[in-house]
Formats: sequence, structure tokens, C-alpha cells
Amino acid sequence: MDLKNTVISLSEISGASGDESRAALLARDLLREYCPDAEIVSGNVVGTFGEQREGLPLLVLDAHIDQVGMIVTYITDEGFVKVGNLGGLDRRLLPAQTVTIHGKKDISGVICSVPPHLSGGSGEVLQMDDISVDTGMTKEELEGIVSFGDSITFDVTCRPLAGNRITGVAMDDRCGIASILAALDMLKDCKTAYNVKVIFSAQEELGERGAKIGAYALNPDIALAVDVSFAYAIGEDERKCGYLGKGPMIGISPSLSREISDKLTDTAKNCGIPYQTEVMNGLTSTNADRYSVNRGGCKACTVSIPLRNMHSPVEVIDLEDVKLTAELLAAFIREV
Amino acid sequence: MKELLKELCLIDGVSGDENAVREAITEKIKDVCEYRVDPLGSLICFKKGRKAPEKKLMICAHMDEVGFIITSIRGDGTLTFGAVGGIDPSVVIGRQVRVGKKRISGVVGSTAVHNLSKEEREKAPKMDSLYIDIGASDKKEAESLVQLGDCAYFDSRFTELGERRVKSKAIDDRAGCAMMIRLLHEELEYDTWFVFNVQEEIGLRGSTASAFSVAPDMAIVLEATTAADIDGACGAKRVCSLGGGPVVGFMDRSTVYDKELYRLAFDTASANGIPCQTKTMIAGGNDSGAIHISGKGVRTIAVSVPCRYLHSPSCVIETEDMENSYSLVRLLAKRMHEI
Repeated sequence: MDLKNTVISLSEISGASGDESRAALLARDLLREYCPDAEIVSGNVVGTFGEQREGLPLLVLDAHIDQVGMIVTYITDEGFVKVGNLGGLDRRLLPAQTVTIHGKKDISGVICSVPPHLSGGSGEVLQMDDISVDTGMTKEELEGIVSFGDSITFDVTCRPLAGNRITGVAMDDRCGIASILAALDMLKDCKTAYNVKVIFSAQEELGERGAKIGAYALNPDIALAVDVSFAYAIGEDERKCGYLGKGPMIGISPSLSREISDKLTDTAKNCGIPYQTEVMNGLTSTNADRYSVNRGGCKACTVSIPLRNMHSPVEVIDLEDVKLTAELLAAFIREV
Repeated sequence: MKELLKELCLIDGVSGDENAVREAITEKIKDVCEYRVDPLGSLICFKKGRKAPEKKLMICAHMDEVGFIITSIRGDGTLTFGAVGGIDPSVVIGRQVRVGKKRISGVVGSTAVHNLSKEEREKAPKMDSLYIDIGASDKKEAESLVQLGDCAYFDSRFTELGERRVKSKAIDDRAGCAMMIRLLHEELEYDTWFVFNVQEEIGLRGSTASAFSVAPDMAIVLEATTAADIDGACGAKRVCSLGGGPVVGFMDRSTVYDKELYRLAFDTASANGIPCQTKTMIAGGNDSGAIHISGKGVRTIAVSVPCRYLHSPSCVIETEDMENSYSLVRLLAKRMHEI
């Protein structure tokens, strides 16, 4: 499997929270190579990997399919599209960003901004209510194409950076999906120590809602939430970050299963896979929070890919980390 | 003209680094006029008309665009930069850029929104807190890809917005360059000087020198100017509007325009059914500022294409405004000799 191109194609397809179908269809098709029964169920992509053997615990690999974005709330008489946010957006970087409105067809737009000649550097950050999108079209032209409730995503083409690094949008968490697919690729002729199911869950950015119902439906014994976490960059608190290129970040937290954290760490050590430890002190703000308290409880842990500029149009990851994450997942699942 | 504009906008040419733009323009005009390059890099062209006029007319536009210059490479492989020209940090944070001659991709990083305090989220970033990340893992790797003094540019596609508008970087002032290239291919009534200036964005440097060399009696500056006709802006604060036709101002931060030429522009427009508008705020400036006080003084007027989100990666204009600006300038160039 071509990891780089998988990451790029997943990044460049749109799927804002609540409107994931395009990204979900692509992810489902990619997953079918490893899980022929892969289907979209209540917004989540769900598939079964390999033979399910009697008596083995069920392990679920989870990554979320949605990305942060915006949603159309109103169209003014002049044709400006008013928006609300889907997930956490940094309003400081919105002015003059290019976006795509996913109406009956995709429409390009620019987020309105006041030029420096006029703003006088007021230093004010627009509230969501004050943000509008310029599509170059009138209200009449927009009618029939754009409706209230249509989703909006940043219009970004992936670019390669130095070394194995790459920038793009929605790397959170499409690179997690790519790493799960890569892990399945590594496992395809192997016996597994668990029965394995995969879920690419919807609406994580709105409060892990897809995982809430996905967890209930699948009822796993063990769940690994494969998501992204903060990679150190200027402006970040180094004590709370991992580093790009140094491997998957294995979560340790009161809300996670210490048994699984330890087992992941031992696996990384035994297999010589570089890894980092991410210690949290409560909830993880990942889908693991949903799995751990699903039904009567489940052993959940996070495996995170370090990422810079989270939720921005210029997220940066290191493809080596995606590969190492896949290796760790495969090594954890493979029967020894 | 849209195709020509696209071609010009996609070329990178920050102030002081306009060579690529000049080369592309030279290629297009070399067979239709005499030309030379001045010591600063401005392209000075002369085209014969049917008549030799009494007064010398210079038409000009600037080739440079706003962008960045790399000022240092840090130990962690990130780059610090200075803005070249007036750019609001809000349109720099969270963008893709291209760095240097090799057009290496980079991004202007931003702290994850999750990790910003409530106060930080409401405070616009400062330029000196921003940096470019080219993905290098250390200084040595960065040094193999980038040199100090390299320029960086917004990485922005040229796209159509609806059926009437286009979006790109550098429309300020490749729109003016495109109109001049087209004018140079026309049969002219009078001999005319055309100057593609450098360094407008850092203080009208190129035009200061070229206006001295050309020493015209009259000048028309072709520009793209601030339109703020966006949601939430009303009345005078809109400055000028997309679709309202060429913008002819009476005054901006650098110039009080020649009253007679100002009236002539509006008369010419109305006599020929060309929409024309003025600016309703005294804001911005352009090469007129240097030209009108050059030598013994130059009667100057500026004709601008209204442009939203100026000095950002996403300038937006209506192509019809550019066509109308072109028509007006063509007529004006003739009528200015007749006053």
C-alpha cells in the first residue's frame, strides 16, 4: 500500500462533522481491501478484519473520519454566506482563507477579511457571527445550489515538506485512518491474537458522537483510539507535546487502561519500534473516552500520531510516524 | 485578459525580487515597443503612436507583490521572516507558502487552538510571533534548502469565484501589468511611455527612480485598490465596490489627484457608458505618491480595479471591472493630450 498517496487522498477529500459521507465512502472503499464486509452504518464506516475465532477478545481499531469545518447558517441579500463552526476553529486564522462550500455542487469561496489599509491593525479577532464567505455569487445565484446546513471545509492541496513531512488539512484524523489501513496491510497474512474490527467514526469533533454509538454496536473488549496529538512547535508547551518523527505516542491516563498502555509500550520496546509516552491526567478528548465507558466498560487506550497546527488548514505530520504507528498496531495485534 | 492576469499572478515577485515577473512581461512586449531595464529593475518601454504629442504621457503599474523575506534560520529548522509590504498577520497565520527560487513548500504555523488561552484566542497574532515551518528537523537540514534573504510567497491558486470574479494572490498589481501589456499591443494615437515598476509595496521606490528618468508631464497609474464592500461594512466604510467599474480617487494617503484629470476621467467614463466610481475613504496609496511630485511635478491620475482582500493570498476582483478599467484608460490616454 502506498502510504503517502493514501494520506493525501484522504486529506484532500471533504468530510466535515455531520457531513462525512464523501470521506466515508473513500475510506470504506479503501477498507474493503482488508475488510470485505466494510459498510457505512449510521455514519460510521465499520468492517471486520479476518477470521473471527471463538474465545478471542474483540479488539476495535478506531480513527475518526470527520474533520473540523463550518456550516452554512444564512445567506444575506448581497449573497454573503454566514457560517457557524463545526468543531474547534482558530478564528485568528480565518480571514482570507479559501474554502469550499459543499452544496448541490462544490463552490469556491473566500472568507471575508478587512485589509490592513482600513483595519489599522486593530488586533480584533472576528467572532463566528461576524464571519462570512464571499462566493462571487448573488443570493439568487446561490439559491438552488447552497442551502442552510451545507458544510464548508478549507480548500487545501497537500504539499510535501522537507524529509518525510507533509502538510494538508484534515490530517486530524485521516492520517489515523491511513495508519490503520497500513496496519491491516501488514497483518493480512498473519494470525491475530484478537478478533479485529475497524471503525472510522463520525462526529468526533463534536464530542465523539459517532464513537458513542459505534462502541455500543461493536461492543469491544479492547479499543484503540488512533488519533493525532500535539507535536511540539513554537508556541506550544514542550512538556505537553510529542515530537514529529519520533514515533507513535502511547497514552497513559487515569481514564485509559493501564494494562493496555503497558502492553503497547512493551510491544514497542520488544519490536524496536520508536515510541513516545503521552501522559494525560483525566479524559483524553479522543474517542477512547467513549469506549472506556461503553456498556459495562472496555479497556481503551490511545495511540496518537504527533501533529502540528491542529485544526488549522496547515496541519503538519511526519509520514514516518504514520508508518511507525501502523507497525505498532500490527505488532500489538499479531499473534506471537 | 483573464488568462493573461492568471499567468502573471502565478509568477512570484516580491518587492526587490521582481526578475521573474519582468522576464515574463518582457517576453510579451519585446516585439511591440522599445524597452530598457533601469538600475532598480523597472522595465521602461516606449511605444510610438500616430502622432508625437506636445506633452509626454507615462502609464505605469507595479510588478512587485507583498510577501516575505527570510531573516534567520533557527536551531529547530524553522525560519523567521519579515513582511515585505503591508500585510496583516491574520492573513499570514495558517497559510501555505513557497520559499526561495526552488519554491520549497512551507507553512506558517499556528499553535493548536486547544492550547490557546481564552484571551489568546481573541487576540490577533503579531507578525514577529509567526514563523515558517518547511518541515526541516534541524538547522542543518533547513540550511540545505533555504538561504537567508530568500523571498517567500503566498501559495495560492488562481480560481474563479462564480462566473464574474476571480481569486488569486498578487492581483495587486498584476492587474495593472496585464492592462499595460494589452495597451502596448494596441495602435496608439500618441507616443506613450509605459513603465512596469519595481518596489511599490515598500514605499514607491521603483516609481521614484523611473519617474525621474522618464520625466513625463502627465501620468496614469494603473492599480488595484481596496474594496471593502463586505457584509457588515456600510456606507463610506465600503470604500468602493466590486462591479462598480474602475475606481478613480480624488485623494489617498499619498496624493491629492489632479482635479482636472479627475473630472476628465468621470466625463470620459460617462460619455462612453463606462461605469466609474470614486473611493469613499482616504486610505491606501500608490505610485502616484512618488510620481506627482517627481521633478518639476507631474499631473497624475490613478485608475484602479476594485479588489477585495488586498494584500492577502485571496485577492478577489470582478473581471468586468478590469475590462472597464482598460476601456477607460485607453480613452483617457488619448483625451489627456487634448485638454
